[in-house]
Amino acid sequence: MSQPAMNKADFISSIVLTAFGIGVIVESLRLPRLENLSVNPYTVPGIVPGFIGIFLTLAGFFIFIRSIRRRGWDLRLNKDHAITWISSPMVKRTAVTMIITMGYAIFLFPHIPFWIAAPIFIFVFVVATESMKYGKLPGGVRLLTALALAVAAGLVINYVFQDLFFVRLPGG
Amino acid sequence: MDGLISFATAVGSILTSWSALDVVWATLLGIIVGMLPGLTATLGVALLTTLTFKMGADQAILILICMYVGAIYGGSRSAILLNIPGTPANAATALDGFPLARAGKAGSAMAIATTGSVFGSFIGMIALAVIAPVLAEFALSFGAYEFFWLAVFGVLISGQLTSLDDPIKGWIAGFLGLFIATIGQEGIYAVPRFSYGSTDLSGGIGLLPAMVGAFGLAEILTVMRHEAYEAVRAKTDSVWSGIRSSYKYKMTALRSGLIGTLMGLIPGVGEDMGAWASYAAARQSSKNKEEFGKGSVEGLLAAETGNNAAVPGALIPVLTLAVPGSAPAAVLLAAMIIHGIRPGPLIMIESPGFVYSVVAMVFLATIAMGVLGLLLTRPLVLVLKVTRERLMPIIFVLCIVGAFAIASRTFDVWVMLFFGVFGFILRELKYPMAPLILGIVLGDILDKSLRRGLVLSDGDLFQFFNRPISMVLWISALLFILVTMPSIRKWMGRAFKPKTEGGVK
Repeated sequence: MSQPAMNKADFISSIVLTAFGIGVIVESLRLPRLENLSVNPYTVPGIVPGFIGIFLTLAGFFIFIRSIRRRGWDLRLNKDHAITWISSPMVKRTAVTMIITMGYAIFLFPHIPFWIAAPIFIFVFVVATESMKYGKLPGGVRLLTALALAVAAGLVINYVFQDLFFVRLPGG
Repeated sequence: MDGLISFATAVGSILTSWSALDVVWATLLGIIVGMLPGLTATLGVALLTTLTFKMGADQAILILICMYVGAIYGGSRSAILLNIPGTPANAATALDGFPLARAGKAGSAMAIATTGSVFGSFIGMIALAVIAPVLAEFALSFGAYEFFWLAVFGVLISGQLTSLDDPIKGWIAGFLGLFIATIGQEGIYAVPRFSYGSTDLSGGIGLLPAMVGAFGLAEILTVMRHEAYEAVRAKTDSVWSGIRSSYKYKMTALRSGLIGTLMGLIPGVGEDMGAWASYAAARQSSKNKEEFGKGSVEGLLAAETGNNAAVPGALIPVLTLAVPGSAPAAVLLAAMIIHGIRPGPLIMIESPGFVYSVVAMVFLATIAMGVLGLLLTRPLVLVLKVTRERLMPIIFVLCIVGAFAIASRTFDVWVMLFFGVFGFILRELKYPMAPLILGIVLGDILDKSLRRGLVLSDGDLFQFFNRPISMVLWISALLFILVTMPSIRKWMGRAFKPKTEGGVK
């Protein structure tokens, strides 16, 4: 990330961090103080999170001020730059990886038997990312080896965890 | 003498059982994990913890230590052959290793890295055997105040050293880790904090799912974001010339081993700084400074000796203080607790033989690493032909199953996913991961120690500052932070600059 881009990212993240720190302080103050149990006031559960919240607020505020001094507040978007950035291979690869991995973790893993879900995920991941790498759908041999890899990996991992280590995997 | 007998007994019992086979496969797996860009030592140890938690304690810890030692060494291969450090600890290795490989000396470079790693591991191992028992005895005098400062010292120093350009981001990462540790039932009155009625959150955030996410999924996203690495094509020469040229720099290796061990000892700093600090010291004292970065044997040797020396170094605080010296050591600490071992000041009283068993494990892992590294130089190069498009989905499946397998609950998978995405964003914003993890580990110690200390002192904060060990800890943390701050360094540079120009006529 370039320094001007980092300044902008710091500006936004410092606002989030400061707000989070304030939230931690408020929530720490709302934690039970156990007066009815006559506990020592120095041992109340909110004391340590409260200190942490104070530090995060101050540190977030420090980065906020620093990012303002470095012109990080100037968030004007250049339309051409934004389009170039979104359509860059780097962003596309990250987005595709994120979508496929989250899709598998959230929808397939908890609901479909592991030995079916894992090979589907591996095959889709390989085909999608290799298509992006080579600019076209992989050829017959690549598809076949991807399929073999997906099935073998899925079955081996399933065997190791379910049969050797007796971990009952979900979905099955 | 008792220690030496315990060490010899442990070596003998491993070598005369099936555990000898565990040493070989686990170290080889570690080397392969370390070699593959995107797989770090932390992830390797974390995933293997999920695979070994049904084994006996000694066997599981042996396998994890072999993985740890092998992975830190294995990362040198991709650093030398691809100019991509296999683990962050091998970044300094790439500076001189890759130019050597490009000059047709890949075999020599790999041999230098192997020699340095073996030598560094042995220095660290000796330090582990000598320092751990003494430190454990010394730590018996630690009370709430000292443990509070130790936790603060660890988070601040780790944050400082892993984010030298912008220390405040390192400290923020550490404090975020401390906050994460406060989620769930607190340890004195069992009041749930920040769990909002969720029974899963009341149990707290597990260290292992968090680490698998922060070092697994986050790494997968980072690797896939960048350009693909090219398959290796470097020619390799004979490894023996590399061993001979390493011998010429034995003093550099000795110094790097000591620096690496020291870096390992400091909480949360670990192998990366072990390599960089050794590399910087070697360049500073070298007669051939101009060769550094262009294929210096001395530079490569220093970096690899330093990072592997930090491995046993990082185990010293794990065993004696229950404070990890590095991120992989944090997983190892969690694994020890899972297996019913209680690291900390009482270790030399409760299980004195265990410290020497760990020394024996490091010793055997180092020998296996050296032998496998030298014998399998050419076959291991083939591992680097695996493309990330085919490796990463398998790693992700292992991350999911590994997170789930610890307690057989889907909540840990969500924790892993959260830390993966959160860790990826933090990395992009230049926040280091090691202090975050150290914060999660030290959060409980800091919480209980601060509250106990306040009760003992009846709210008198002065008591936290005036005890001798506390004083050493807070003053050294403060001095270290001040000395490494860029603005203070600049000011000191100006204040102590000899008045040669303009000042004296």
